[in-house]
Amino acid sequence: MTPSRNFDPAAWQPEITLKRFTLANGLTLFVLPDHRLPIVSLQIHYKVGSRHELPGITGISHLFEHLMFRGTETLGPEEFSRILQAKGGEINAFTTRDNTSYFENLPAEHLELGLRLEADRLLNLKLDDNTFQPERQVVISERKLRSVDSPFGLVEEQLFATAYTQHPYGWPVVGWDQDLHRMTLDDCLAYYRSHYHPGKITVVIAGDVEPESARDLVDRYFGQIPAPAVAPEPKVAEPPQRGERRAVLKKVSQVEALFAGFHVVGLDHPDLYPLNVLAVILSGGKASRFHQDFVRKGKAIALDVELAPLPFSAQDSDLLIIAAVAAPGQSLPELEQDLWAALNRLAQDGVTPAELARAKKLLRSQAVRSLAHNFFRGLLVGLFHLKTGDAQLANQILSSLEAVTADDILRVARTYLREDNRTVVVLKPVTPEESAALGALQ
Amino acid sequence: MAYSLPEIHQATLPSGMKLLGVEYDRVPWLSLTFMAKRGAETDPPDKPGVADWAAELLTLGTARRTQLQLAEDIESRGASLNARSGWDATLVNLEGLSEDFAELMATMAEVVQTPGFPEDEFSLLAERRRAELVHQQDDPREMANIRYLRLFFGDSPYGHAVPGELPRLDNIGVADLKEFYRREFTPATGTLVVVGMEAFARVKEEAARLWGSWTGGGPASPPYVAAPARLCAPGIYLLDRPDLTQSEIRVGHLGMPRAHPDYFPLKLMNYILGEGGFSSRLMARIRSDLGFTYGIRSSFSCRRAPGPFIVNTFTPAANTAQVVDEIRAVITEVHQNGVTDQELAEAQSFYVGHFPLGLETSRGIARQVMSIDLYDLGTDYLKRYCDQIRGVTLKTAAAAAQDHLQPDNLVTLVMGPASVCAESLRNLGPVKILDEI
Repeated sequence: MTPSRNFDPAAWQPEITLKRFTLANGLTLFVLPDHRLPIVSLQIHYKVGSRHELPGITGISHLFEHLMFRGTETLGPEEFSRILQAKGGEINAFTTRDNTSYFENLPAEHLELGLRLEADRLLNLKLDDNTFQPERQVVISERKLRSVDSPFGLVEEQLFATAYTQHPYGWPVVGWDQDLHRMTLDDCLAYYRSHYHPGKITVVIAGDVEPESARDLVDRYFGQIPAPAVAPEPKVAEPPQRGERRAVLKKVSQVEALFAGFHVVGLDHPDLYPLNVLAVILSGGKASRFHQDFVRKGKAIALDVELAPLPFSAQDSDLLIIAAVAAPGQSLPELEQDLWAALNRLAQDGVTPAELARAKKLLRSQAVRSLAHNFFRGLLVGLFHLKTGDAQLANQILSSLEAVTADDILRVARTYLREDNRTVVVLKPVTPEESAALGALQ
Repeated sequence: MAYSLPEIHQATLPSGMKLLGVEYDRVPWLSLTFMAKRGAETDPPDKPGVADWAAELLTLGTARRTQLQLAEDIESRGASLNARSGWDATLVNLEGLSEDFAELMATMAEVVQTPGFPEDEFSLLAERRRAELVHQQDDPREMANIRYLRLFFGDSPYGHAVPGELPRLDNIGVADLKEFYRREFTPATGTLVVVGMEAFARVKEEAARLWGSWTGGGPASPPYVAAPARLCAPGIYLLDRPDLTQSEIRVGHLGMPRAHPDYFPLKLMNYILGEGGFSSRLMARIRSDLGFTYGIRSSFSCRRAPGPFIVNTFTPAANTAQVVDEIRAVITEVHQNGVTDQELAEAQSFYVGHFPLGLETSRGIARQVMSIDLYDLGTDYLKRYCDQIRGVTLKTAAAAAQDHLQPDNLVTLVMGPASVCAESLRNLGPVKILDEI
């Protein structure tokens, strides 16, 4: 890091410099040069997520993400991670509804090694039952951790399953338990052949690298990989919801809670920005409405408006979720009534200029802080491109937030936070004996 | 490319309080932390939670501003204020855009120097804590962590839960919080850490103006440095949770203090044992080979006094006994035979190669600066760090494994459905059934 004496915040430029290349086989590359530290974030985003699955093989995208670490023709299981970690790298991957992303945050001098190994596992993955079976068990353990034994995991699964009747966002990314048990290695290999090729890849390299030399490196390792023709993705859309839906989930719990989901918009829609501001006005920070009216006063343990942060919003219409956890001794039905009354007040009266300014400045400051990370800058560019086709949207976040008006907030509140557009799942506590009588948790 | 390490600037204010600063220019951000170098280890045994509650109450109003005014003023600048206590220290943190440097510096001084300790906010805080602790019982991972520390350390200072414990909540009054603050918030044991897009000369000037005459309280509690006289007997302990599908497993023994000369050999050895993700023996055996868990890691909590060494994992309940047995086998193997040349070289190159990734964010830098100050590691620590890592040899790593791993002295806690796992656990040795959390 070369010390700079420039400590004038006004001189700082938030714009991410990005250069785009397209290889002959269809692979898209973005390079985001930043030479202040000798590090890079290498990201390989595959356009395949749980939305590409079918009933019966739910969770296969995520299981396959695990299998990508289980060895190639020349590397043993987990050797990919071990080799790159030994260079100082942070190695991991994540699967969402729309994409599967692999990343290596590395000293810049090892970028070529990262690319070589990524290309190797794309081309030469070697799987057999000895590696497949333990990994399936690992994912079953992960599902129990995240969903079954976690306080609200099954409630959230029930919420999505109830809110989405036709769109694949209705099933969990980790998959249903029965599908995880039923899936075969052949299913996984077929999925791999369909979705793992250059036409579905966006590579992002953010950090201490020159765009042309990065392009040459990517071309050297990925340029010769053939790509089958990519069939256009079928458009799927959840039909408009025509009335509130409710469900109950009984589970051993010390608290009563409800999760309410409202269908909103996908990452490419301009309403996402006023919705983000609205979420902060309601529950972001200790001066927010819900913190002051519910949490601080002890009516609720938590009352949070949850909207996947940019750029993690889904490609298609996502859910805005309000998670309400009643404090012990407080009535959940009363909390629910107070919550709907608070939303009605918002839709009727709108927000004050001070509330709007506070929320916008909080979002702006969070965005500025995040831009310190090469990794996050890369995710912004890669995921905006993958889900909207427009990577430059990553550079418009601050101006889009700044442009939000009180009228926008009123409009999105009235458009989306309607009773007919909401799904509510109530967590009803039961004793361990009652829980056992209801059948096995899966 | 070459890069220079961040320089840690240091000054002592007229009050005797230490100021540490790092100039940071990646983004216009400012991270301010006041660190009082005493924490939850000072909680009276019958009042766990005092230090952490006191920290939170500082954020809920000053002599001049109410909770709401303070929150509105801070958040209208896009900033955030948090305070919490941990082992060995209590931290008040204020972060925001560096364009608000003057206001953020003044607010930090106001929060730490002139707390309001409002009675009504204390009552609300107590009720919130009660509710949060009730809700925490639904989180098996958290409950296993808490129960393990209580089991292992008993009533000694590292044994309780930092945020408080349900049966003893009513023992805490606002006077206890005021007393903690009066005793422990003093220039002699306080450090202000400023990392941000601001020249240190201006930071120093502003800090001297705002903190120069602060006298604070004191004298602070004597530092807690000794290991407890009595610990839990080794063995297997089972807490029945019939509603869980997986068992939470904790296996450990007493570790060592941060000041121990074996710190670096131990760090490298533990990376290989269980901290290094897929490069670790525990992950290779229990996740990759057997598929028994999604995650497993080992950690030495090195504090002023010896903290715990703990292996932490979970597994579908039917595998419980086998996982406990495998963990013991892996620890025994490393204890007896040390690590290999290749493992050590890879662990060293990981820490050296990873080092610049820790310099991206102001928060990451601030965390390192606080640790350096808290444990007296020297302001040249970052410059010496990579050499210390490279200096570990196969012999010193093996000696660390010999001296600091105790496979015959393990305290194992299983929290899971006894109907599924108790019988197979008994094949490993006597199992003591624990009562409620």
